Amino acid sequence: MIHYRKDTDNIVTLILDMEGRSSNLLNHELVAAFQPVIKHLQSEKAAGRVSGIIITSAKKDFLQGGDLSYLRELKDPEEAFNAAQKLKTFLRDIERPGVPVVAAINGDAIGTGFELALACHHRIALANPKTRLGHPEVKIGLIPSGGAVIRLMWLLGIERAYPLLLEGRRYSPQEALKVGIIDDLADDQTGLMRKAKAWLLSDPPTQRPWDEEDGEIPGGTAAEPNLGHRIRLLTARLSATYNDLYPAERAILDLLAEGSKLDFETACRLDSRYYARVATGQVSNNMISTFWFDKQAIRTNGLGRPKGYGKFRPRKVGIIGAGRMGSGIAFLCLRNGLTVVLKDVSQPIADRGREYVIERIDEYIERGTFQPEEREELLSRIITTDQSAEFENCDIVVEAVFENKAIKLKVTKEAEEQLDEFAVFATNTISIPITELGKGSLRPENYVGIHFFSPAEKTYVVEVIRGEQTNDETIARAFDFATSIRKIPVVVKDSWGFFTARVLNTYILEGVTMLNEGYPAALVENMGRQAGMEKGPLALADELGLSLVMRYEEQAASHYGTKYKQHPAVPALKIMLDDLGRGGKSKRAGFYEYDADGTARLWNGISDHFPVTKDDYDRRRMKDRFLFCQVIESGWCLQENVITEPAGANLASVYGWGFPRYTGGVLRYLESYGREEFAARCAELSERYGQRFTLPKALRP
Amino acid sequence: MPTKAYIYDALRSPRGRADGSNADLYEVKPIDLLSQCLRAFQRRSGREELPASIDDLIIGCNTPVGDQGYNIARAALLNAGWGSARGGLQINRFNTSGLEAVNLAAARITAEYGEVIIAGGIECMSRVPTYLNGGPMLNDPSTVINSHYIPQGVAADLVAGSNDISREELDAYALKSHAKAVAAQKAGRYSKSLEQIADANGLVILAEDTICSPGLNTDDLAELPPRFTEMGLAGFDEMALHRFPLVDHVEHSHTIGNTSKAADGCALVLLGSEKAGKELSLIPRARIRAVAMSAVDATLLTGGRNAAELALAKAGLEVKDIDLWEFNESYAAPTIRFQRHFEIEDDCFNALGGAIALGEPLGAVGGMMLCQLLDEMERRDLTLGSLTIDAGAGLAVSTIIERV
Repeated sequence: MIHYRKDTDNIVTLILDMEGRSSNLLNHELVAAFQPVIKHLQSEKAAGRVSGIIITSAKKDFLQGGDLSYLRELKDPEEAFNAAQKLKTFLRDIERPGVPVVAAINGDAIGTGFELALACHHRIALANPKTRLGHPEVKIGLIPSGGAVIRLMWLLGIERAYPLLLEGRRYSPQEALKVGIIDDLADDQTGLMRKAKAWLLSDPPTQRPWDEEDGEIPGGTAAEPNLGHRIRLLTARLSATYNDLYPAERAILDLLAEGSKLDFETACRLDSRYYARVATGQVSNNMISTFWFDKQAIRTNGLGRPKGYGKFRPRKVGIIGAGRMGSGIAFLCLRNGLTVVLKDVSQPIADRGREYVIERIDEYIERGTFQPEEREELLSRIITTDQSAEFENCDIVVEAVFENKAIKLKVTKEAEEQLDEFAVFATNTISIPITELGKGSLRPENYVGIHFFSPAEKTYVVEVIRGEQTNDETIARAFDFATSIRKIPVVVKDSWGFFTARVLNTYILEGVTMLNEGYPAALVENMGRQAGMEKGPLALADELGLSLVMRYEEQAASHYGTKYKQHPAVPALKIMLDDLGRGGKSKRAGFYEYDADGTARLWNGISDHFPVTKDDYDRRRMKDRFLFCQVIESGWCLQENVITEPAGANLASVYGWGFPRYTGGVLRYLESYGREEFAARCAELSERYGQRFTLPKALRP
Repeated sequence: MPTKAYIYDALRSPRGRADGSNADLYEVKPIDLLSQCLRAFQRRSGREELPASIDDLIIGCNTPVGDQGYNIARAALLNAGWGSARGGLQINRFNTSGLEAVNLAAARITAEYGEVIIAGGIECMSRVPTYLNGGPMLNDPSTVINSHYIPQGVAADLVAGSNDISREELDAYALKSHAKAVAAQKAGRYSKSLEQIADANGLVILAEDTICSPGLNTDDLAELPPRFTEMGLAGFDEMALHRFPLVDHVEHSHTIGNTSKAADGCALVLLGSEKAGKELSLIPRARIRAVAMSAVDATLLTGGRNAAELALAKAGLEVKDIDLWEFNESYAAPTIRFQRHFEIEDDCFNALGGAIALGEPLGAVGGMMLCQLLDEMERRDLTLGSLTIDAGAGLAVSTIIERV
């Protein structure tokens, strides 16, 4: 399991090679296997027969992280605390053999896997840009358990460690070097081992900074007034950004502030206490379930993808429309190894898309995600044109022109004429039914909707929309296209607003309803944000445009026919649209007013038309209304087969429309609230506010 | 009938600017400043043996660390050659500390746990800046979040916005404060309490208050940029909205011109029972009629109204009974709000100017206001005065004095 080699310079190389696994995992087996090795090393050191240690791996990865299915079920804080302390003891043994230790990182080292590297005195990584390193624990509501927070603080200082831990990014080795979590890069395996050995022979320190008598945290401790003041500012930012809903983020800042004033061992013990609290809490359970298991289910296991169709591996992608969306998709495709033809109405306009792509590439080179030498190769794979003829041989064409049916139909036809019968044609629309657009297609069975969110290169999900004539194979292909550009595809039926916009609309309508009930607009907006939504409902209404909000609701009305009961927001929307002519942000007048410089302020005329009558308010009830209406609408979508997989609903809700991450998504929220309790609360709400809070069967206990 | 607590004398150092460039008392050690003020009581009472009668010295200080640390009250007694005095206690309730020290002394005297007590405060902000405090409300993340404690300037901006107090009103108030201070100084109305500060040779270092900007005008004030925008944008605006969601946004209207500035200074009050006063042949000037303390949401700066009302209730008085009011001018908005609420005439409110014009040596400001209040009540021959200070984290302290 651990190969032990010693060379003539008394340098020991430990090669991790767990049996029966494709990658090494830091679990109890590995820790157990290390025990005799550590003992042996200690006696060798005592006998003066070892001068340095290299830890590397025989697998493709360096070391994988912890066991998330175990963590998800972890409820006992004492068990969590003990597990964290045990891991820390192991890592302390690794970093204190009395001789320097180098991590020769030959592949991925994520989370707990990276803890081992951090416990080494020096970290050298193979410069493979595909390798990923770092601590993304916070993205699933956790903090590292092996002491990485404390080690990173000691290595980088509070102010550099904090953003790194808070962001939870997975770094390429080049980025990792830039942010300071590794010390050196090597071009190949031989170079890696050579550099590791050279460092060990350069008379390096045998102790970690925190074990030195006079060791100091770079930049100082939180006890120093200047840093103390900056921690106060970081706290304000944390509270403002996360609305005090995210325990892991808060634990990180608390730990850095507190841990910097303590010795290493005590800080580590404190770290285990924070870890135990975070790991056994509801938020991490929600987030692990959704952002790990649900994501895996879709990305790796193809949940939601029609079965029985071979894997579609697109190589050449056509994109129509070189605006922000089209250019963003082009960049995504390039990034993931595809060849792109980007077309717009004229060459200069198409070239603007190319400029956008170049800007993004340079930005990624700047931060180290791409290497400068990759630039030319990336750009060699994009052609910009005003000619549909260039779409010949494309495996898929994505149309991303603006929301105009006639134009969409025209460009679709022009492109389709160049494609063979196997190619997929995808339209990126938010409001025009796919079935309707598909009717104008030459091959409606190959015609599908792929709804990207903006900005396309940064968001995680796409909706794959099935029109009435779209066949299963096309859905499977669109699904595969999405995963090939690292998106999470959520397959939805061609309903109004598909899934995401339809559900989000209920949040907006609930906000407008509250305004209409006599709550002050500021309160409505603040409560929306404090419930964890990214934006207030009225701000979102303005952004989307009030007429689109209205149109979705009209589509709902025509869908339900006689069963439709008008949403109480509708009259208020009509006042805004028809009487006041305040259609939203594009009109620079909606619930907000917009300065020339882009600042938005709630319109001060609001209370003239929606008089404030409520002088008392129940925060919890307002927040519940905001989140519950979205859960309930998602339930209707499940019941009406607009979506079929709760996993997709969860991911789409968070990544697609900004449902609060801490809930783990719209349907996970229901489960963690408890179906019984949820139903009881809905009964209260529906009695008070009407039938829109009645639970669909799919969500009942 | 409980023992009454009388004020026999009150004195103070001048206020010096502590803005770095013009630190008038910067060269004076806090301990020396306090020692000089103590010794002034001996001269003023004509009793060299006064220290032997002192049961305690209670000193309020907002930043009791470094040169002001390790119980500066005890240190001052020993340094001033007052070794025969008993006690020496340093307390901190932010900028109400000096007033709180007086209230505490009065309570001790009333309870007959002390006969003669000197109480007041000191703050040399040029030497010991506030940030040296540290403290969990300032830099322990979870405490910051749990307490919702935001910078007071942002809180003052929030108060201005939610009480419809415009930037123009804030600036107009600042002008009034300056005009009153300039007039008071010119007419010599500070002189009764004022003790000049000298070096060991007796050479005078500072004899008069340094008025922040004597020639201030409306245009100058209007040009000043908001002082707390940066803190607001750092996230504190949003934190304010967490607590006060009826507010759409925080408009930053306070500037360096309509808020108090850092200052150095010391103020002390000699209190005692009637019996002790007679024994020492001291003539009482006033008595402490009632004291109160209050706290509102820590995000806010509006406890003062509450505290003042409580003190009135305890004294069995009504608003109209108060002849002269002092309210600390840390920020213009809460001050305007206070004056507006009690409908106090300008002439009866901060009659000799306040911290906006004169600077605010935090721990000392309560004692300084008491000096001004008492001197002016005597000059006008008034009976009842109210003194109120808003402090950080929602705290406020109020005291009512009555001339005898």
